[in-house]
Amino acid sequence: MTAEVRAHTFDGIQEFDNRLPNWWLWTFYLACIFSIGYWVHYHTLGTGDVPYESYLKEQRAAALALEEEMKKNPVTDERLEQLAANEAFVTEGQALFQQNCVLCHRENGGAGKDENGAWGTGANLTDAKWIYGSEPTTIYQTILKGRNADPEIGSFGGMQSWEHLGIGSVLRLTAYVMTLKGSDVAGGKPPEEYAKKQ
Amino acid sequence: MSETPNETAGDVHKPVVQKNKKVVRRPDVDTLFSINPDGSRNVIHPADVKGRFQRYKHLLWIVLIGVYLALPWIRIGEHPALLIDIEARHFYLFGYTFNAQDFWFAFFFVTGLGFTLFVVAGLWGRLWCGYACPQTVFLEGVFRRIERLIEGNAQARAKLDKAPLKAKFWRRGLKMVVFFLIAALISHSFVGYFMPTEVLLEAMTSSPGLHPTAFVFVLVATLILFVNFTWFREQLCIVVCPYGRLQGALYDADTLLVGYDNKRGEPRGPAAEKGSGDCVDCYRCVAVCPTGIDIRNGTQLECVGCANCIDACDDVMDKLGRDRGLVRYDSQRGFETGKRRFVRGRVFLYGALMLLGMTMFTLALTRRHAFEARLVRGPGRPYSVEQESVHNIFNLQLINKRSGTRTFHIEQLGPEGARVVIARTDVELESLGTVRVPVHFYVPDADFKAGLRAELRVTCTDDPDGELERVATAPLLGPSR
Repeated sequence: MTAEVRAHTFDGIQEFDNRLPNWWLWTFYLACIFSIGYWVHYHTLGTGDVPYESYLKEQRAAALALEEEMKKNPVTDERLEQLAANEAFVTEGQALFQQNCVLCHRENGGAGKDENGAWGTGANLTDAKWIYGSEPTTIYQTILKGRNADPEIGSFGGMQSWEHLGIGSVLRLTAYVMTLKGSDVAGGKPPEEYAKKQ
Repeated sequence: MSETPNETAGDVHKPVVQKNKKVVRRPDVDTLFSINPDGSRNVIHPADVKGRFQRYKHLLWIVLIGVYLALPWIRIGEHPALLIDIEARHFYLFGYTFNAQDFWFAFFFVTGLGFTLFVVAGLWGRLWCGYACPQTVFLEGVFRRIERLIEGNAQARAKLDKAPLKAKFWRRGLKMVVFFLIAALISHSFVGYFMPTEVLLEAMTSSPGLHPTAFVFVLVATLILFVNFTWFREQLCIVVCPYGRLQGALYDADTLLVGYDNKRGEPRGPAAEKGSGDCVDCYRCVAVCPTGIDIRNGTQLECVGCANCIDACDDVMDKLGRDRGLVRYDSQRGFETGKRRFVRGRVFLYGALMLLGMTMFTLALTRRHAFEARLVRGPGRPYSVEQESVHNIFNLQLINKRSGTRTFHIEQLGPEGARVVIARTDVELESLGTVRVPVHFYVPDADFKAGLRAELRVTCTDDPDGELERVATAPLLGPSR
């Protein structure tokens, strides 16, 4: 059982003709068969989803789920009133407010003067003047979609949309802002300042 | 590397011998002993061996297995000693914390390790393979021992291979079950290096549906390990492992390898025969070899440097009253001329590259900042002119690189005369936590000119190393003048 040497030499170098291990051969054959199946499934027939397609599918499913959720739990004044009464909810809203809103509305929501003497760019959320309306659903819409500047109604700066934080965050922010309503903090921005170009 | 000066001695190197009228195949240099001529597997059952190298190995393996099983559970401070949390992109290495940004360190760490292996291989051949590689440690240290316990010694196991199914079902079955359980233990421990151990325990005690990826991974890994340690065994070392193949390029004539002193051993003959060499053709060195070679044929691809043959031959030499070392660690030059040389160019080259890798890693590590503070322009318009001020919006990105929570204070640094509005001036960040703080710069229109830069000073006040400070800067944009 000496090893067989092949007849052909490569520049004088001889070559054996030992049989490849069966396990090697079979994993190779199976890999070839698998690759054909894979190709047909994903690329020829399209029965499998390539990553982009599966991502789109997931996105659509998530959008559908959100739509269903919104239909089941529509955002109404009553629901928002309930949420504003929920302490834990309001506290989370406060944390979000501190992270996202204080730049323009200041920490107490009053848009008061800072150390350089400049008013906050945003509106005073604690006084009686509400540019777009103070109904809970209106506040929700303002935070969700933002508002364009409209000098006619006295708003020059506009309001940023926060939809990218997610509906849950917007609901919490709405609940928190509803608790600020009417608190009339000291040093808050007076309504005359809204009319001035910021 | 498989040529020995004595290769031409015809008879003794016949690959097939007659032994009690039965044809027995012996290892040769032209074929792979663990594969039969028809391609089927020739299962190797190495005989048991005792000796000093076995003792060294067993002690080392206890330590290595202990470390492997224990390390995921060891914590340094509030973090694991070693955790590569790929999902969260947090990496913990003995007190140091890294995020994805620092991943480039891994290049130097890995190349440093790689060249360390090169140095070791250049000096001592396949020392890693026979002593520290998980394949050897688990196979020889755990699985084969259990196999011996359940099925008996090498001859008994070979007999059981040929026995009909009914005779071996329970014994083999028991062995398979135990092997599967150990494979599961190894793969679960493995996951502990990539997933926090609390999460691992929780995943193990709850439904697979909650952690589908981890479950599938562990299942597949267990199956692969099971097949590997039950059946595949030395084929991995011989055919699959690239490190084994790399060795050939890393050896030279001075590398210490397991080898046979054919000057001393040839010509082979019975102990009583006068004029014969020390080798008595007892075939013990062949019987104990786990990869199925005859070391007397010279250095071979399959040899993993396990030193079983050294211990086996020393044992026989002891019994015959001859000197040990007929099979021993020596270099090719050592076998031929008796001289050994360690100091050589190859070792210096590999050593230098190893030091380079390790040094770069250490430097990168120690010079890393405690935190990252970067001013990134806000999305949307580049600037706007409002009320006679040029207004630029930025986000300050803060990343805490330390292993504990830190507090940061942000303040204005420049340019002169600008009004800076910082959303939050004091921020607390957990380890590897990140935050984006909006910052607005207003520069009076009259003072604005090209080349002005927004500058913020960020200070970390509660680091044990003292007050740390970084300046974050970015260009200010405005109307061209």
